[in-house]
Amino acid sequence: MAPFVDRLLNLDRRWLFLLVFAGVAVPIIMPMGLPVTTTASTRSAFEYIEALKPGDCVLISYDYGPSSAPENDPMAEGIMRQCFMKRIRVVICALYALGGLQLANNSLAKVSAEFPNLKYGVDYVNLGFKDGPAAVMKRMGDDIVGAFPTDVRGTPLAQIPMMKGVRSLRQVSVVVTVATGLIGEYWITQAHPQSGVPIIVGPTAVGAPKYYAYLNAGQLVGMLSGMKGAAEYEKLLAGRYPELGRFYKTTHAFTATKGMDAQTVIHFIIILFILIGNAAYMSQRAARRKAAAR
Amino acid sequence: MNFEFGRVALVVLFALLPIVGIALGFFVPALRARGPLVVGFFAGIIPILSLYIPKRFLSGETGMRPRLDQWLIIVYGFALLLGIVNVIQNGTRKISRRESGWPYSIVLLTGLIVTGALGIWGAVSGQGITTLPDGSGTPFKWIADHFFLPLQATIFALLAFFMASAAFRAFRARNTEATILLVAGILVMAGRVPLLEFLAAPFPPLQPAAAGASQALGKLTEWIMQTPNGAAQSGIIIGAALGAASMAIRVILGIEKGYLGLGGGE
Repeated sequence: MAPFVDRLLNLDRRWLFLLVFAGVAVPIIMPMGLPVTTTASTRSAFEYIEALKPGDCVLISYDYGPSSAPENDPMAEGIMRQCFMKRIRVVICALYALGGLQLANNSLAKVSAEFPNLKYGVDYVNLGFKDGPAAVMKRMGDDIVGAFPTDVRGTPLAQIPMMKGVRSLRQVSVVVTVATGLIGEYWITQAHPQSGVPIIVGPTAVGAPKYYAYLNAGQLVGMLSGMKGAAEYEKLLAGRYPELGRFYKTTHAFTATKGMDAQTVIHFIIILFILIGNAAYMSQRAARRKAAAR
Repeated sequence: MNFEFGRVALVVLFALLPIVGIALGFFVPALRARGPLVVGFFAGIIPILSLYIPKRFLSGETGMRPRLDQWLIIVYGFALLLGIVNVIQNGTRKISRRESGWPYSIVLLTGLIVTGALGIWGAVSGQGITTLPDGSGTPFKWIADHFFLPLQATIFALLAFFMASAAFRAFRARNTEATILLVAGILVMAGRVPLLEFLAAPFPPLQPAAAGASQALGKLTEWIMQTPNGAAQSGIIIGAALGAASMAIRVILGIEKGYLGLGGGE
């Protein structure tokens, strides 16, 4: 028994890596379609946007980078699709320096292509990137033009039709911050108290625990927590809008629902590793105690 | 009138005062630290006062506080510039001294110069940094899409492998605290995914029971996240906020001088 346990504990880590690789790759290549159950925080975010009227304005802030794009992209795109379905105006900005704008551009290009009847500058606008997130959102609380004088194409905001009624965050119905680090927290602590704008946050699963404090305190109207939150949102969208249901069912692109299959398998593998590792550790400890008692 | 007062006050506090401070510092070395401290005091106290004194010259749309916010964005831009200078200095030093890993510095600097030059060229030429007027992507966008985005995603993806390896080798129930952490960790990991449905998939008769158990596990996970985790996070956030507030007071009052490079304060 002891040699087997020793061998198990000293297993070449490349075997573990191979198992992890297979655990991620196989479900992505062959989706299993595992069920997704929704949580209250995601439902409340969905219902808040659902209650908005056509012509209202939602600001989606891309506060994440490529490292967490598989978790965060589906959140931002899901919310954008919902807004476009309801003809809610969408303002996009990026406050994350390491690739936020590139992801915002790619995401907007992808989703806007699905809604060819919507027009840039009338139904949606991309403000681009600005460094110094806390300072930028504080400025946006007073005057969006002060923070973003032009959009990403260099057009002055005064010349963009949909920005005429949106001077500051006070005219924005809700800010959706899809965030990987501190920037989501800045929206809650800097922008929300100053302008009163409601906040929905879409953090990575690793970043989600801290946002429960804000959720409990009523400083958030909703939260999409990690890939599961994004998958829940996709499920809610598919349930409310049949055309989006068909889209999520047939698209070949990556979706959070597909990602959840891989995440389930990988969680299973990690739990298995923890249990096996602990069983081997306890067996080794018991053997040592036994040897010491002799 | 009010607006003009705010503007004049800002010019006096953040332009004239620093100039006078620098000039005085030349003649009286003991006064060198005073100027920055006074500027720091006003930069800290004006935003606070603007929250309590609803005067246009302080908190109006063109008052002192919004203008300071605007300046802060500009200062952030300079901080970025400082970072670039720092990267260039470190990289060139590494290359010139042939320190370990110096070839990587060549890659870093080449990437910085090429990407930066393409971005600046796009902005200066008016063609756009990421998208050309005809809607096609610029070389800057090509670099971002084909180098930067996949590389950053790859680095983060490696984490999954290391986490799995660490779970096997290091996540041990060595004592009571570690055991509680381990059990909570397993419950949250299992509850955040349809794990039971996945395990019951090959056994159709077990699937309804698995779905029910999965829902219960999901609720337990939400309770762990909202109640014990939420309470602990609130405590951490409130503690950190109090710490930040006390540090801010020390900086505003000139007790903390570390940011001036003058030592740690009194």
